[in-house]
Amino acid sequence: MGDETVQPSPYAGRMIHAEGLTKRYGSKVAVDSIDFTIRPGIVTGFLGPNGAGKSTTMRMILGLDRPTAGSVTVNGKHYADHAAPLREVGALLDAKAVHTGRTAYNHLLAMGATHGIGKSRVNEVIGLTGLDSVAGKRVGGFSLGMGQRLGIAAALLGDPATLILDEPVNGLDPEGVVWVRQLARFLAGEGRTIFLSSHLMSEMAQTADHLIVLGRGRIIADAPVAQILAGATRGAVKLKSPRASELAALLAAQDVVITSGSEGQLDVNGLTAAQIGEAAASAGIPLHELTPINASLEQAYMELTQGDVEYHSTAINPEGVAR
Amino acid sequence: MTTTTAAPLSRLTSVGIVRSEWIKLRTLRSTVWSFAIVIVISIAFSLLFASVVSSDMGQVIGADGAQFVVVVVTAGISFSQLVVAVLGALVITGEYSTGMIRSTFAAVPHRIPALLGKALVLFVTTFVVGLISTFGPYFIVTPILASKGMESSIGDPDVFLPLIGGAFYLACVAIFSLAIGAILRNSAGGIAVALGAILVLPILVSIIPADWATTLGQYLFSNAGTGFYSPGLEFDFWQNLAIVAGWLVVLFAGASVLLKRRDA
Repeated sequence: MGDETVQPSPYAGRMIHAEGLTKRYGSKVAVDSIDFTIRPGIVTGFLGPNGAGKSTTMRMILGLDRPTAGSVTVNGKHYADHAAPLREVGALLDAKAVHTGRTAYNHLLAMGATHGIGKSRVNEVIGLTGLDSVAGKRVGGFSLGMGQRLGIAAALLGDPATLILDEPVNGLDPEGVVWVRQLARFLAGEGRTIFLSSHLMSEMAQTADHLIVLGRGRIIADAPVAQILAGATRGAVKLKSPRASELAALLAAQDVVITSGSEGQLDVNGLTAAQIGEAAASAGIPLHELTPINASLEQAYMELTQGDVEYHSTAINPEGVAR
Repeated sequence: MTTTTAAPLSRLTSVGIVRSEWIKLRTLRSTVWSFAIVIVISIAFSLLFASVVSSDMGQVIGADGAQFVVVVVTAGISFSQLVVAVLGALVITGEYSTGMIRSTFAAVPHRIPALLGKALVLFVTTFVVGLISTFGPYFIVTPILASKGMESSIGDPDVFLPLIGGAFYLACVAIFSLAIGAILRNSAGGIAVALGAILVLPILVSIIPADWATTLGQYLFSNAGTGFYSPGLEFDFWQNLAIVAGWLVVLFAGASVLLKRRDA
């Protein structure tokens, strides 16, 4: 801040900024008037269940889909208005956005040619994404993982200031997943703007610094990852006491949810183990068990997006299966 | 991990778009096959035609030997135009069916330059292949026809102009079909409509026994285009050119509007 010895990042100000961004398909609202700003220098995760509107939002950033209302800019301009769009934004929106009859090398060569990007850079991104052995093969025979790598290679072609990756780890082997994670972190470390989507909370927790959570076309949360996790994993505590009902009455308060189980067992939501222990001690109620339960990341995510899931699966009933 | 060495001055240019479309066109097998078939068809038809022509026929035609040579040499165009029409539609519908179009439009977000780049590359390439498919057969069958009394000279405008005209027509067919493909975005539909417009429509109109149908027929794309290489039609070259150009302008205008408006 104001320190003149610090070299300004070449990517400073490369923000993605959406205002009232809306996409409707007929009467169905895919993206519902969302506002967000994605900053350079960090990895921003875009999280939400399938059908939440993540891909539509990303397509609108690239101008592939026209917003029904609102607008989204990259570095202050609409994507299409940049002199070198591929150098501004590199995107993997769909690993299948490639002609199946062309080789990976020729695909990249054709993409790069639009911007005067030549063979040496094409070979570089092929090496970078580990496609050397299949670069001369036609894309039709590629596995999902190779297709993803080719998509990432295409995204990197223009050495872009902003990278947008839609479900980049889909279909990648564990080694590939780690590689994408490291790549995203490395590029963010260089000061670039990294925006990647996933429907997996665990993946985002390991890669992203900041999360935008989308459900049914609306932003449910827009906060640093740590904050979202902290908020979501606030205490559930399991306890056992011979005077459980007495204790339940004592703990009852607003924002505290108590579920009683068998043989004096209680599940308390909304209080820490310390708070419960102290309350029990001051009332002279003995405790036989007091166990804090941290909700898993997946549970945290489920809590956030509950009711916002487009496609609910029916719970499997084991009795029904047995019969 | 190094990721940064892209050319510092690289940016989106018209030349780059044309070069990209050229790479795309030449790196698909369907292109190579289609053009090979066009050349094979034109040679095969000319040879077949030239070999069955009797020397009597040559004498009957006599003075108009050059015109007859042109008919023989351009005989394959009515078939090769169908191959070219299929290729033209596939150049863009193939991108829609594979999803490639999203990569294309991400690189060229204003979209219309990409369509025009495709049209330019396809037109020029088809024109060059067309020239090979008219001048090639000419040099192959001329000795055969000359031996049957039909003399011609390549320096004769009545010979070389129709041969160039035939190649030009094929190039027009390719981009006619490209524009239809861009509008329909579907391979089967694009090919069906393009072939229908080129092949079926003229036949349908010609069997209607009415004067207006005869007049209408002259304004059809393929009928006017045929006038580029075969004489004896109502309109002269420039009138036919205007009709063909009119069709292309309308189709490309429609395709451009839809390309801009629709989601990719």
